[in-house]
Amino acid sequence: MFGSIALFELRYQLRNPVFWVALVIFFLLTFGATASENIQIGGGGNVNVNSPFAILQTQMVLTLFFMFVTTAFVANVVVRDDESGFGPMVRSTQVTRFAYLIGRFTGAALAALVAFMVVPFAIFFGSLMPWVDPETVGVNRFADYAASYSLFAAPTVILLSAFFFAIATITRSMIYSYVAVVGFLVAYVSFNVVVGGEPEYRDFAALVDPLGFSAIANETRYWTAAELNSRLPDLTGTILINRLMALGVAAAALVVAFWRFSFAEKGVSARKARRMEKRAQKLARTKPVTVAALPATEPDNAGFVRLVKTTRFEMGQVLRSPAFVVLMIMGLFNSITALAFGNEIYGTPPVPATFSLIPILAGTFGIIPRIIAIYYGGELVWRDRDRKFNEVIDSTSLPGWAYMVPKTIAVTFVLLSTLLISVIAAMAVQMVRGYFDFELGKYLMWYVLPGTIDMVLIAILSVFVQALSPNKFVGWGIMVLYLVAAITLDNLGFDHPLLLYGTTGFSPVSDMNGDAVAGSLGWWLRLYWGGVALLLAVLAHLLWRRGTETKLLPRIGQLPRRLASRAGALGLTGILVAGATGAFLFNQMNVENTYRNQDSQEALLADYEKQYLQYAELKQPSLTDVTLAVDIYPEERRLEVSGTYQLVNDTGAPVDVLHVRLVDPDTRLLEVEIPGAELEVNDEVYQHRIYRFEQPLAVDATATLTFKSRRHHHALTTSGYGTRLVENGTFLNNSEFAPQLGMDRGGLLTDRATRRRYGLEPELRPAKLEDESARDRNYVGNVDWVNSDITITTSADQVPVAPGTRVSDVTQGDRRTARFQSTNPILGFFSIQSADYEIAKREADGVELQVYHDAQHPYNVDRMLDAMQSSLTYYRANFGPYQFDHARIIEFPGYASFAQAFAGTMPYSESIGFLANLADPGEIDYVTYITAHEVAHQYWAHQLISADMQGGTMLVETLAQYSALMVMKDLYGEDQMRRFLKFELDNYLSSRGSEAIEELPLERVENQGYIHYRKGSVVMYLLQDRLGEDRVNAMLSALLDRYRFQSQPYATSTDLVDGFFSLARNEDERSLVRDLLQRITIYDLKADEAEVRELDDGRFETTVTVAAAKLYADGEGVETEADLSDMIEIGLFTERPGAGEFAAENVIVLERRDVRSGEQTITFVTDERPSWVGIDPYNKYVDRNSDDNLVAPG
Amino acid sequence: MLELNNVSHVYSNGVRALDNVSLTVPKGMFGLLGPNGAGKSTLMRTVATLQTPTTGKIMFDGIDILADPEALRKRLGYLPQDFGVYPRVSAYDMLDHMAVLKGIASRAARKETVETLLAQTNLWDVRKKAIAGFSGGMRQRFGIAQALIGNPDLIIVDEPTAGLDPEERNRFLNLLAEIGENVVVILSTHIVEDVADLCPSMAVLVGGQIKLEGAPKDLIEKSRGTIWAKTIERSELDGYRSMYEVISTRLFAGRTIIHILCDHDPGDGFSAAEGGLEDVYFSTLAASRRGDADAQTIAA
Repeated sequence: MFGSIALFELRYQLRNPVFWVALVIFFLLTFGATASENIQIGGGGNVNVNSPFAILQTQMVLTLFFMFVTTAFVANVVVRDDESGFGPMVRSTQVTRFAYLIGRFTGAALAALVAFMVVPFAIFFGSLMPWVDPETVGVNRFADYAASYSLFAAPTVILLSAFFFAIATITRSMIYSYVAVVGFLVAYVSFNVVVGGEPEYRDFAALVDPLGFSAIANETRYWTAAELNSRLPDLTGTILINRLMALGVAAAALVVAFWRFSFAEKGVSARKARRMEKRAQKLARTKPVTVAALPATEPDNAGFVRLVKTTRFEMGQVLRSPAFVVLMIMGLFNSITALAFGNEIYGTPPVPATFSLIPILAGTFGIIPRIIAIYYGGELVWRDRDRKFNEVIDSTSLPGWAYMVPKTIAVTFVLLSTLLISVIAAMAVQMVRGYFDFELGKYLMWYVLPGTIDMVLIAILSVFVQALSPNKFVGWGIMVLYLVAAITLDNLGFDHPLLLYGTTGFSPVSDMNGDAVAGSLGWWLRLYWGGVALLLAVLAHLLWRRGTETKLLPRIGQLPRRLASRAGALGLTGILVAGATGAFLFNQMNVENTYRNQDSQEALLADYEKQYLQYAELKQPSLTDVTLAVDIYPEERRLEVSGTYQLVNDTGAPVDVLHVRLVDPDTRLLEVEIPGAELEVNDEVYQHRIYRFEQPLAVDATATLTFKSRRHHHALTTSGYGTRLVENGTFLNNSEFAPQLGMDRGGLLTDRATRRRYGLEPELRPAKLEDESARDRNYVGNVDWVNSDITITTSADQVPVAPGTRVSDVTQGDRRTARFQSTNPILGFFSIQSADYEIAKREADGVELQVYHDAQHPYNVDRMLDAMQSSLTYYRANFGPYQFDHARIIEFPGYASFAQAFAGTMPYSESIGFLANLADPGEIDYVTYITAHEVAHQYWAHQLISADMQGGTMLVETLAQYSALMVMKDLYGEDQMRRFLKFELDNYLSSRGSEAIEELPLERVENQGYIHYRKGSVVMYLLQDRLGEDRVNAMLSALLDRYRFQSQPYATSTDLVDGFFSLARNEDERSLVRDLLQRITIYDLKADEAEVRELDDGRFETTVTVAAAKLYADGEGVETEADLSDMIEIGLFTERPGAGEFAAENVIVLERRDVRSGEQTITFVTDERPSWVGIDPYNKYVDRNSDDNLVAPG
Repeated sequence: MLELNNVSHVYSNGVRALDNVSLTVPKGMFGLLGPNGAGKSTLMRTVATLQTPTTGKIMFDGIDILADPEALRKRLGYLPQDFGVYPRVSAYDMLDHMAVLKGIASRAARKETVETLLAQTNLWDVRKKAIAGFSGGMRQRFGIAQALIGNPDLIIVDEPTAGLDPEERNRFLNLLAEIGENVVVILSTHIVEDVADLCPSMAVLVGGQIKLEGAPKDLIEKSRGTIWAKTIERSELDGYRSMYEVISTRLFAGRTIIHILCDHDPGDGFSAAEGGLEDVYFSTLAASRRGDADAQTIAA
């Protein structure tokens, strides 16, 4: 009995459209996340897309969304019989309550389990796609899929099925069940935010987290890539208990459901009965308006009413359907989570400016209106027929247009309201974050209107497809293919926007520059595809099934006759609009511009490398003086440059040829003159020229080069007008508009898979540390120290900025001209910027500090000035003189999120520091941190530049991080530093997993950010702590003195390592320097337990048991244990270090004690009773688990 | 008023659903009687402009409805055999929506239409309830309400009483009777009493062909003296079937009453039956079955 009921239920569910729709949606989501970079589920990181961990994590995340589906299955079990009226019939049979209820639940839960299998399948299928980078695909092992599904995902699905089954049994309502789903999600997310944020609750969370996220996160937090790629967490310990608890809770929920379920139908409650009675009375009181003769129809005058009323009716049908509500809730849940936690940097929330929220909103919510457009496209076409109401409607005098037009308008309004609701959600998030500047115009013009039109395009396609297809499901299937095609065609090289129906691009948006990059492109494309859509709509209208003729061929047969109508004329208009805009856009993209798809761009770059990389080692003269005249015409997106270079042959040997190149294809190199040299090769494709000196340029001889170039984004490309030379917020570096001398590796292909495809070495690694010859080149493109003289003109409403002292600044008519001259040599790699800026200024010790910012972003300007001031104060006192009389931070549009240091000028993206919300003092002040880092580059890069070899970035980036940490320590005090160190440490540890080549010791770092920034910070902090901040600074200052403005041989990391060895006073310290800089060393420090005993004299004796270990890792992450013997800090505190309120007065004692490998006890006697005791409490060591260093005494 | 001339319809699977149907339908109620699968619904849909016949011509009040279906639709009310409803829409709203579709433009006229029809069909009290929750009879009454919007001149009602309980059926037929005086109402049904009670004229459609046409009274009159009845034991039925052309059997108090067709008194204990429309109908069916059998014999 039980078995047959369960089987019947399973079969019923498998025939239910919900099952198939869920299957398709979850297949697409998972497939997209695996095979496309445009769709993201969770934060996968860079482990293999099919690694055991990715398989597990993707499934876990999707169980959250799958809740909506399981609820549809199990709640349906409960409410179905009541709705269909079968309930009494079924319940009066001999079936037992148990078999009926639990049997059906089993069937529905099985259906959910079967449906969820599509997720692992889609990961597997996605990993097979040919365009997925083979570097990111590992071996597919059936066991990984099977184990992660059955041991982790399945228990969660069962738990959620049982839980919401119980809810549905109690409420007997689909809607309340969904309300419960939303409530559960909100509660679950808040639980994770509150509990997950506190390390001391992690073990507790791991046990009770019903969905198992915390348990798995606890286990895998510091796994390396090797581990993530090779195995799943074991089903033991906490994880086992967690999974068993999930099943236990599921069983308990079923017991509750069974207990609360009764066969007899409950009458309505007395209150509800009274309410119903009242309503009935009210209804009865109203008398109908009756007439003897019914009014006649007047179909010819009813056009407008028909349009309005049917549109409203159709909208009501969609808006009131449960599927719509569920889709909206799913989408809003996804978006609100992303909006609430998005854009955080160093864990600090941003000011939620509208422009920064729109891409998140579009990315996380976008799938919902797409599904609505496709799903209701089918519904609108087929509903009358499905509901068997078509004959009634088709026999009325309704004119043909009254089918297609109201339905299209209805779906447009539905999509519009869908997007508007998501905007309201975004504004709610803004409000919660205390931001009340609602920029409705931006939401409307950048998101709601373009988004609605894009979705209507899809809806019309869907209606057209449905008009042709024999049934709804075939139509939906075709539309799913369309969605898949939109993802895949792009990857297969068909990325021209005129090719794939509905492609309108997504313009990056910025408060500075609006949607100028691709906004107009989007509207042109909307017009183009709108024309096509109009034609499709006309065809759908003419092919509409009226009456009982449902076959396609006869309808197509009648098409030519029907085309000779007003509708046909409209279709012709569509063709004309699409044809004209298509021709215009094709001319812009393919004639006025050169169109290359991604493949041919890559092929071009690969070819360039094959032809010219051989010249990279060729010794070339150095630039000494650069004079530029740069005319910017922002509104035309045009740049005219003329310039003169002075060169000197400092190579030590005569030079025969000079390579002059301007590789940026957006700028034309118009002319080059080198007196005394002949143009030997002029490769127009790459703008790579080779000049031969008539007489080889003698040692120390000089030469002159003059050139002209132009950059003009006059016509649309397939991606718009580009992000560099723009209407407001131009930010170009000199390699983008002026020729470079000599060949360099910069700008070549970097993706390993792509390189292999074109027969190149998988990566271009820098020279080994031992290669002395590499010291002839520096790592910033081997640019030279030059004197600069740059004159920029721009329109009068903008401020031009270039490196150097501003010697003049004149506005004449509608042009503003400023001239900048260097007072010291600067690196020949610099930027120019132009925008409508406000300028905040401050004079500090003879240096003018300036922040050029957009008027809408004043929030952190003072903080930036403070940060520049404190940085310069510290650096001048400890490292040496600052070389400029100015320091400028200059905002640029948030098309990229970085800050960069050029000589005296620091471009800073609008989407980072300018929007940090530091109202809460507990947040990491990354604005000051980043500013201090960039100012430090005025020393580490712009005074001392390192050789182009292993360890090169250590002298620049690691030292800038160190300098910034010292500024932070000065500002916040030593006891507040833990949060910075911990952030850097956690970032280093978790990034090790994504290493593609090999992890290297710091002194050999090969431009690996997680090593030179993250590990570098922790290591340098410990070194100054152990060796003395002043001693370290003196050593660094000496290093600067040795290399300041020096060319070849350039500085190497060995210089720095030697400097640290010179500071080491004993073997312990020497060994520490070796471990930190020359090896990959991981520590494991842990406070096991602590006892506090009050002594007779009223003092407290604290005994803490600590465990310690030290491991050496190789490049792949394989570890070997080593003997630890070091002086490591042990501390006693009255507050937990790292907590917001923690400060110096909470420190009872903090001293270094001798710590060795293994367990040991350490005893202190103090006046105060400690509430926290720990080893390395400030996380100065590279500690594999920095959360177990502190313990509260028992 | 409505005239069909040589209308034939062949479906793409080769089924000849209408075979050279010619019919004249006067004002008033017209009953179209026929067994399941006789082609009634095809005929109804064809007249309702929902499908185009393979050949033939249909005129209504001077309108060639195949050439100008739009003109007929403005004067048409149609209640299909089987229609569904939209979820979550109340009777009032749905009727209002239908009034819009039929072209009642002014709000006041719609209100009058909807409320009058709801009152007339006895649905006023449940007007705010979703039609999805209606019983079969209520649903049919709603169906006729929508068909009556805008005073149509031609009302087509396809199998409206199937599945209704006697009380509901009565109520429905009364409704029809009220309206069927000045307009053409075609009522298709396989239930003889529907026609007998209501229709001044009728036709019988069997196998796509009109087998009988006329006023029920005349037809009954004409059949007088050809229908004979006898009460027999059930076990004797097969014997009688082989001897006489049995057109109907029915049980009464455990015994079987058979009606046979015979143009003279067969004797053998038969008595002249008080012929009803049912007998006329059954004898037409029997004749058409015989015709088929004869045709088969000839073909063989």
